[in-house]
Amino acid sequence: MIFLTQLRGELTKLFARRRTYVGYGVFLVFELILLVTFQIDSIRSKQEEFMVQNGLAADEYFSSLTVTFMVMAFSLFLLGSIYFALVSGDIVAKEVEDGNMRMVLARPVSRFRILLLKFLSTCLYTITFVIFVGITGYAMAVIALGVDGGMMAFSPKMKLFAVYPDWGSGMLRLIIAALLIGISMCTISAIGFLFSCMKMKPATATIMALSVLFLDMVLQEFPIFKPYEANFITYKMSTWLFAFENNFPWAKLVDNFAFLIGLDLSLFAIACVIFQMRDFKT
Amino acid sequence: MLEVIGLKKKFAGKPALKGVEFSVAKGEIFGLLGHNGAGKSTTLGILLGMVAPDEGETRIDGISVQKNRAEALAKVGAIFESPGFYDYLSGYANLKLLTSYSGGVTKAAIDEVVERVELDDRIHSKVGTYSHGMRQRLALAQALLPEPEVLLLDEPTDGLDPEGIKWFRDFILDLRDNRGMTVLFNSHLLAEVEQMCDRVVILQEGRKVFQGGSADLEEDQLVLKFEVDPPSLLQNLAVEFGGGVKKNNLVLPKTTDIALVVAKAVQNGGQVREVRQVKRSLEDLYLEFSRKVTR
Repeated sequence: MIFLTQLRGELTKLFARRRTYVGYGVFLVFELILLVTFQIDSIRSKQEEFMVQNGLAADEYFSSLTVTFMVMAFSLFLLGSIYFALVSGDIVAKEVEDGNMRMVLARPVSRFRILLLKFLSTCLYTITFVIFVGITGYAMAVIALGVDGGMMAFSPKMKLFAVYPDWGSGMLRLIIAALLIGISMCTISAIGFLFSCMKMKPATATIMALSVLFLDMVLQEFPIFKPYEANFITYKMSTWLFAFENNFPWAKLVDNFAFLIGLDLSLFAIACVIFQMRDFKT
Repeated sequence: MLEVIGLKKKFAGKPALKGVEFSVAKGEIFGLLGHNGAGKSTTLGILLGMVAPDEGETRIDGISVQKNRAEALAKVGAIFESPGFYDYLSGYANLKLLTSYSGGVTKAAIDEVVERVELDDRIHSKVGTYSHGMRQRLALAQALLPEPEVLLLDEPTDGLDPEGIKWFRDFILDLRDNRGMTVLFNSHLLAEVEQMCDRVVILQEGRKVFQGGSADLEEDQLVLKFEVDPPSLLQNLAVEFGGGVKKNNLVLPKTTDIALVVAKAVQNGGQVREVRQVKRSLEDLYLEFSRKVTR
């Protein structure tokens, strides 16, 4: 019971900051920009042309579900990584920097528990944020395009092309994908969290986390690493796209997400060891 | 109540503590003195389990902080020089949040402490809007929740105005007198420490150089500010009473009768203008040790 009270306290801290809502606001604006972009004739016609080339009726598949898929994929990939690295890079390092951590450490609570609370609240925040992006993205798309229509999901990198003629099955896959993106994004948060537990400034922790991600992304594009790209972190993080395959790929998803969750837990364990070994002095 | 046993600590190879030892009795206000970098905060950090000692141990009510930190700290409240509150939360939310790490406290308990620290009219305002004095009172409130037996204070009166310092001092003395609270007080405000503390430890470059109470401050000699005309008479008096002259003061054996010294001066044709016993203050003692280290 007291654990839940403490967790609520951690979430209160996260959600009481103005910057948290700036993040929500930025994502809303970004989603809006993407939606407007998709409405521009030249871009829209390109999308519709792509659908027609694949034997799909453009007025049927250029729908709120398809646009939500695109908005989520673009916005979370581009902005999400930066934003989650920023929040997780702050979560411990900022409290150490501001002296809040000293006040907490003076209490009869273990360092492991403090970190567990922070890690859980970061993960909860990450997942709920992704769901927020999904819901608002869909709401905006509905306002622009209406509710009806099927769904088309595609990703050349992940070799994905899938269509769902009826709204219900498309929406179900979108919900599953949103949850999987949330779990994927927790890996960014776990990397940021690890650096946040080290003796460094919050901004440095964020930069380090982003550096790891970008390095991972760049390396997998090198010809020498191409055959092994499926083993890279950012590739694994993109496997939420498999949730749109028509035959639901349980094995592939379990395999990739077990890896990601295992990685997150390993990063958390390393963070705990580092944090445990640190001295906190005025 | 508090035991500090053979603490040694190095930071980046540089020794910060070199075998510091002392103990604080229940209900005692104990001062920890020293210049910047003397090892005061490191000692306090070790007592709170925030710093791991290379050697040695600290115990609170017999429980080792190093072996059983959570149990040992259950009886401790701490205040830091610049308490790091969450400025974007209210004082009340800060108290709720911080006390949740101690297992939580009731609203009534928070209200009672808030009233005691005279913060009830601003407790629901954001901490970012608080003055330094209010932040220190909030720090005191959080340290008193939930009912500790030991208070560890790290430079708590730094930056406070004279009224604030007096209020704080009276509050701490009241805690000791009426609640039997044990207090370890780390400060470099010597007058403050002298007024509050029953005993002190002076640290110099990570070493304990003095431990004692006000009785230990007394010199084993009688030091007199003795103004007499002609001043050359001072040396004669010193020789006559088996003492000496130090910094224009007459330093005599402790048992010397002052009246006899004055009578002798008059007898020798001297005109005595002022006679006053010079007592060693904590500041004198502290500076004495500082000079020794500097030399």
